Amino acid sequence: MNENNYELGFEELAAKYPDFPRLLIRKLDAELRGVTLTGRALERAKEEGSLYDASADLGQETPRPVLGGALFRDGSWVLGMEPMYLQFPQGYTRRGNSYSIDVVDGKLWLLDGDEPVEDIFFVPYPEYFGKKTSRGTPMVKVVSARLPGLLFIYLYNRCDFWMRKMPCKYCSFPTRVFRRKPGYTQEGLDDLYETMNEALKEDGKWINIVLLAGSDLSGDSPFDNEVGEYVKVLTTLRKSFGTEKIYAKMVASAFSREQMLRLRDAGATTYQPHIEVWDEKLFEWICPGKTKYFGRQYWIDSALSAVEIFGRGYVCTQFVGGVELMQPYGFKTIDEALESTLEGAEFFAKNGVGPIAIIHRLEKGTVFFSQNQKPAPLEYYVRLMKGISEIHRKYNLSVDFNNYRCHPTGDLDRLHTSKITNKPAGGEKS
Amino acid sequence: MSKLPKEVLDLISDSESIKVVSTADEDGNPHIAFKDSLTVLDDGNLAFGEEFEGSQTNVNLVRSIWFNKNVELTVRDKHGTTFRIIGKPYRYAHAGPLFKKFYLAEREKRGPDSELAGVWIITPEEVRNETYEIRKKEEDERHPFFRHFDRSSVRKIKR
Repeated sequence: MNENNYELGFEELAAKYPDFPRLLIRKLDAELRGVTLTGRALERAKEEGSLYDASADLGQETPRPVLGGALFRDGSWVLGMEPMYLQFPQGYTRRGNSYSIDVVDGKLWLLDGDEPVEDIFFVPYPEYFGKKTSRGTPMVKVVSARLPGLLFIYLYNRCDFWMRKMPCKYCSFPTRVFRRKPGYTQEGLDDLYETMNEALKEDGKWINIVLLAGSDLSGDSPFDNEVGEYVKVLTTLRKSFGTEKIYAKMVASAFSREQMLRLRDAGATTYQPHIEVWDEKLFEWICPGKTKYFGRQYWIDSALSAVEIFGRGYVCTQFVGGVELMQPYGFKTIDEALESTLEGAEFFAKNGVGPIAIIHRLEKGTVFFSQNQKPAPLEYYVRLMKGISEIHRKYNLSVDFNNYRCHPTGDLDRLHTSKITNKPAGGEKS
Repeated sequence: MSKLPKEVLDLISDSESIKVVSTADEDGNPHIAFKDSLTVLDDGNLAFGEEFEGSQTNVNLVRSIWFNKNVELTVRDKHGTTFRIIGKPYRYAHAGPLFKKFYLAEREKRGPDSELAGVWIITPEEVRNETYEIRKKEEDERHPFFRHFDRSSVRKIKR
């Protein structure tokens, strides 16, 4: 970033982009600056059944509070509260002063300094939290959640790119709370089955599941064992749902056509191998593991060929928005960064793959955190989310399995949900 | 927030009343939908269930909450008593106790495969009585030159 990147604040950006909802700019700003909860807010969360103490599940003696979810008025979720998330309690590099959530005149508010800026609503934590499987495993360790409505199944935390000392530079995956080695045993699958059945008892609670694992290069062909783990979990979920198809999102490595067919036959309905960063040189620098195994083009081809198997609207790839601005090799201006990333997003959309983007969290345990990198500015994210949503609309492409309730990309898509059909738009590959 | 008159509260709580929400899309195209679940909350706000995330009503309401646009609710009973309530979306709840209450009511009404995407909460800002007799009286007073001469109240003598 150079001196041309004068950074606009919230009000300046709201004035500059009047067609971008103020509330969503606030949401992005809160994610970048972070959100803390005051003692009064924590007390309110406890009163509303929204504060869970996971210390016993984790075998810790000190309290480990987890919030059941916090929502803005429009139903979008408050990001930036990582210490209150089950999976991501690590430290982060932030921009500016953090927001706080407090009780003001009896109501919950997001405060910028002393000023209440948005109403906040807590959500009760899930009813299966605190329960154990018949083998005595805390259920929250078997299936965690991105609250309020997404069940989170970590297949395992190991990633061969980390093991081979070539991790993606923004990634902290192996440091997550529930560390799990590859290789589901029958006992582990039984725990999963029991936990899913218990979680699914709760009326109107869950709307999505994510399956997530690190890249595992082992097997007869590379990634075969990773696919095998997904198949085991999908098979277990089929038992829980009693259906052939499982409507879960599956974040995975770049698989071959044969491997994807195995997954589809096991019940998978979606697939997302993440490209992370579009620029070729930056991809090599930021994702050395993916570059070595088996290169950018292989990851692109995998996403594209998945459309034939899972269908348009059921395959997406994710950009880690902001990593292309990391120095010394990244873009020097947000204009250049956005031009590159949105070019990539359009390329994928043109080929039936839904592009999505997350906000790059400079998280403790990542290479970029240790390098004291600086997060991208708020305006970058406003323009990125706007650009991605416009591409979804242009190509008549939904990313419903990454909708606004579980992913920041989906927010603006809410304005055209009624129009998107996932049929190819004119001039696009069908 | 406008305090709703008792007559309006009674009308809303009448299960036989027709309840309609009117919204507009980005180009101003109107869209209406029936909302049988419309109810008054303890704080005076109005709430109704939205069955589908991808409905035009839902999309229009999202636009309204983001850009501070009005929506309109119309309630009419079997005798023709009609009220129009103009308000602003305050909140969309898709989790938590209020949502669950509406969700379970939807299940009760439509069975185990029913869906409810969320609950919209509307803050009323203006209430108008649109009942025919009331409106006729208002119009006669305001616009006497738009009355037809053969109306019984205008020409008393008939030959």
